[in-house]
Parts: sequence; structure tokens; C-alpha cells
Amino acid sequence: MLTKLLKYDLKNIFKFLIIFYSLSIIGAISTRICFNIENSFILEIIAQICSGFTIAMIINILINNIIKLWVRFKNNLYGDESYLTHTLPVSKKDIYLSKILTTIISLFISTLVIALTLFIAYYSKENVEALKNFLLPIATAYGSTIIKIISSFLFILFLQFANTVQAGFTGIILGHKMNQTKIGFSVIFGYITYTITQLFALFITFITALFNKDLMNLFITNQIIDVEIVKVTIYLSIIIYTITLIIGYFINIKLLKQGINVE
Amino acid sequence: MELLECKNLEKSFGNTKVLNNINLTIPRGKIIGLLGKNGTGKTTLIKLINNLLTPTKGTILINGKEIDIESKKIISYLPERTYLDKTMTVKQIIKFFEEFYENFDSKKAKKLLEDLGLNINQKLSKMSKGMQEKVQLVLVMSRKADLYILDEPLGGVDPATRDYILDTILNNFNEGASVIISTHLISDIERILDEVIFIDKGQIILTQDADELRTKENDSIDEIFRRMFKC
Repeated sequence: MLTKLLKYDLKNIFKFLIIFYSLSIIGAISTRICFNIENSFILEIIAQICSGFTIAMIINILINNIIKLWVRFKNNLYGDESYLTHTLPVSKKDIYLSKILTTIISLFISTLVIALTLFIAYYSKENVEALKNFLLPIATAYGSTIIKIISSFLFILFLQFANTVQAGFTGIILGHKMNQTKIGFSVIFGYITYTITQLFALFITFITALFNKDLMNLFITNQIIDVEIVKVTIYLSIIIYTITLIIGYFINIKLLKQGINVE
Repeated sequence: MELLECKNLEKSFGNTKVLNNINLTIPRGKIIGLLGKNGTGKTTLIKLINNLLTPTKGTILINGKEIDIESKKIISYLPERTYLDKTMTVKQIIKFFEEFYENFDSKKAKKLLEDLGLNINQKLSKMSKGMQEKVQLVLVMSRKADLYILDEPLGGVDPATRDYILDTILNNFNEGASVIISTHLISDIERILDEVIFIDKGQIILTQDADELRTKENDSIDEIFRRMFKC
């Protein structure tokens, strides 16, 4: 049943996101074409407009992906469609797991589309060289590679977005336990949940810092920190955000199992 | 073992008690009218039976067990609102029901939709509310369920179509199954009822065999209802 639920959830989100994916790719191709034609002042202006449009579409992909996931969750679990969702012969765990997997898959694909868009629009030997020159000293200092550095940052960003979406889900579940102004409470609870996850991350970092003098410098000094600490922080962030994602998942399933009250 | 049992059921929203001490037993093979004025708790009771609301107190048993995945397999529920994904075509929704409900008969659904002159390739968003309600009724009645729960099935339907809908219900529910119909349009459904349940202010005030009630009161159920609930 989980695969069936997932199929319909993915269909629903990608039916919507495909519009923004297409627009961003079209924007990227236009940008590339216009930038490649030289000696035309007008085309240079058009290229800048296309570039701005592409960047706007990239931002749209991220924002709309997150908002669509929240809207779908709310409609499916508490709106009119909840009358179908909760009467299907599937467990609450499967319903929620499908939403989380849709979040992970859609955010991952959106990240790939964004990377592809940037590649189409701005790839050139000079740009790659400039990026290398910027990242190489950092990578060398970490004893790592440029690819690993970029992947780590992207992964942290991905986990951060996934946590944001899940905080929104928690907010919606808690908000709909109220008898009035459910949407208002959903926003408030969502914001509180997100703040708690961030404070939790800070708390764990502090606890770790008690055993790591260099890491403690992040809390007690404002001096330039050692690059080694940044490396530790990156790994710590990945671990903490993965843990909060898992904890949030189990809390939300427990909350759903306590029972729901649809509108 | 009874098909459905509600024991000391209560539901409150904040300080407002919507249902109070509901004790109810639904046997097999009956068509039961859940009758009451607007806002008396009919829909709340139905939502509780379908696990769409959480009881404040009491228990609901389906085939002697608390509501779970198995009970959802045998209950076919028609809510009082349009609840399907409106971006889908009727054909896609039939496929959806086929995938999720083992007891869904897609051939029957297509036949009924054809009889009603509904185009299965049309998107729900392009259909009128009445047409959407007909699609929902057809989908619900095309399942071989043990219990059909229909909340205001005639609510948004013109009088000319009401008889067709009642005939659809009568001719399509599974043998040995029970049907609970919640409505305040009593005169329209009276002819098909085996039993009646009167609900008022969140409490069941009468449960009786429809024929026995008519004989005892020497009046139609519609008239008895009007007398009992006179404002």
C-alpha cells in the first residue's frame, strides 16, 4: 500500500513542479544562448533578464516545492480529501511515511534540477576555474576534495529543508488538534517546532564542545576559528539534522496515532 | 457478533459536548435511517465510526474489533462533501479505487456511470457539484462492502434524480450488508428503510423497526419526525 500512496503523492507534486522545472531549464537555455552571442548590446541586456528569470525560477522551485508539500499534507490529512485518505485501508504510519518519502525525493530531484539549470546557464571553463580557485584552499585545508565540500554543503542544505518541511507537518498536526483557528495554530506550532530543532542542534553542538576545546571557541570567543572546527561542524550538522529528522518522524507518527479530527 | 457497536460514545469539541452517551447496535442486512435535524450530531457520529474523529469517551467496535485497517476494508463511506482529488479524471479515480479497495467492482462503476450519462474521461473539476456527488455515490456503491454509510446522499440532488439514487442504493448494496443513511429528507428515503434511529441534541432518542413505528403511531415516519422535532 505504501508504494501506491507514494505513487499518487509523487504524481501530485511533480505534476506541479514540472512547470517550474521546465521554466527554469528554458530560462537557463535562453541565458546560455544570449550570453554566447557577442557584440550585441541588446542581447546582453536580454541575457541579464534571462539570467534573472532563471534565478527567480530556481528560488521558485525551492519555495513552491516546500509550500506544495505542506498544502498537500494539510488537504490530504485534514481537508476535504482527508475523508478519502483516512478511510483507505492503510495505516497512519504508511500515510505519513509516504509524505516523508515524497519530501525527500522531491527535494532531491529539485536540487538536481537546480544544479542542472546552473550548469546549463553558467558553465564555462572560466567559471569552473574561478570556482576551483575559490574552493581549493578550503578543500586543501580540510584534507578533502572540491566535490566532497560541495556535496557536504548541499547535503546539509537538503537536510535543513527536509527538517523545515517536517517542522511544518508537525505544526499542521498540532494545529489541527485545536478546536479553533487551526491554520493560525499550525503556523505557530510549525515555527515553534522549527525553533526547537535549531535549539536542539545548538544544544548538541554545545554538549560536544564540552569535550572539544576548539569547538568550544565557537561559543566563548569571536576570534577567527580554526578550519578544522568548520570540518567538525559540518559533520556534526549532518549527524544532528539526520537525528532531528528521524526524531521528528517518530514524534509525528505518534501524534497521528493518537487520533485525528478532520475539519 | 454485531456488525457495528457503539458503547457509551461521547464527543466534545472544547467545552461543547456534541454527542453524549451513544449506545448503538447495527445488525446485518438492514437499511437504517439515521434521522435528525441539522446540527444534532448525525455527521459527528458518522465521522467517529469512520475514524475521522477521535472519541472523547467510549468505544466503537466493527465486527467486535476496534477500528483498524480491516474495518476500513469493509466500510464504504459517502461523506456529505465532495472529497475526491478534483484534478483527476473519473477514469483515474476508478483506477485509484481499484488499486486501494480489493472489493471495488470497476465494471459495475463504469456501467452505473454510463447509465447516469457521465463521461469517465472528464475531470472532476469540470463537473458540476451534483455530477461530482453522483460519481462519489457510484464509487461507494460499487464496493462489495459489509457496511455502507451514506451521509446526506440526497442533499445536493434534484428531486427527479433522488429516486434514481435510492434505486441505485437499493439495487447495488451487497447482500447481507447493512446501509446507514443519514438525512433530514425523510419523505424521500422512507420507502426503503427497515429501521430508524432518531437523534437529537447529541443523543439517540429512538431506535425502532420502521414498520412497527408506522403501525404503532399510525402515521408515516416523516410525520412522526415532524411531530417529535417540532420547533
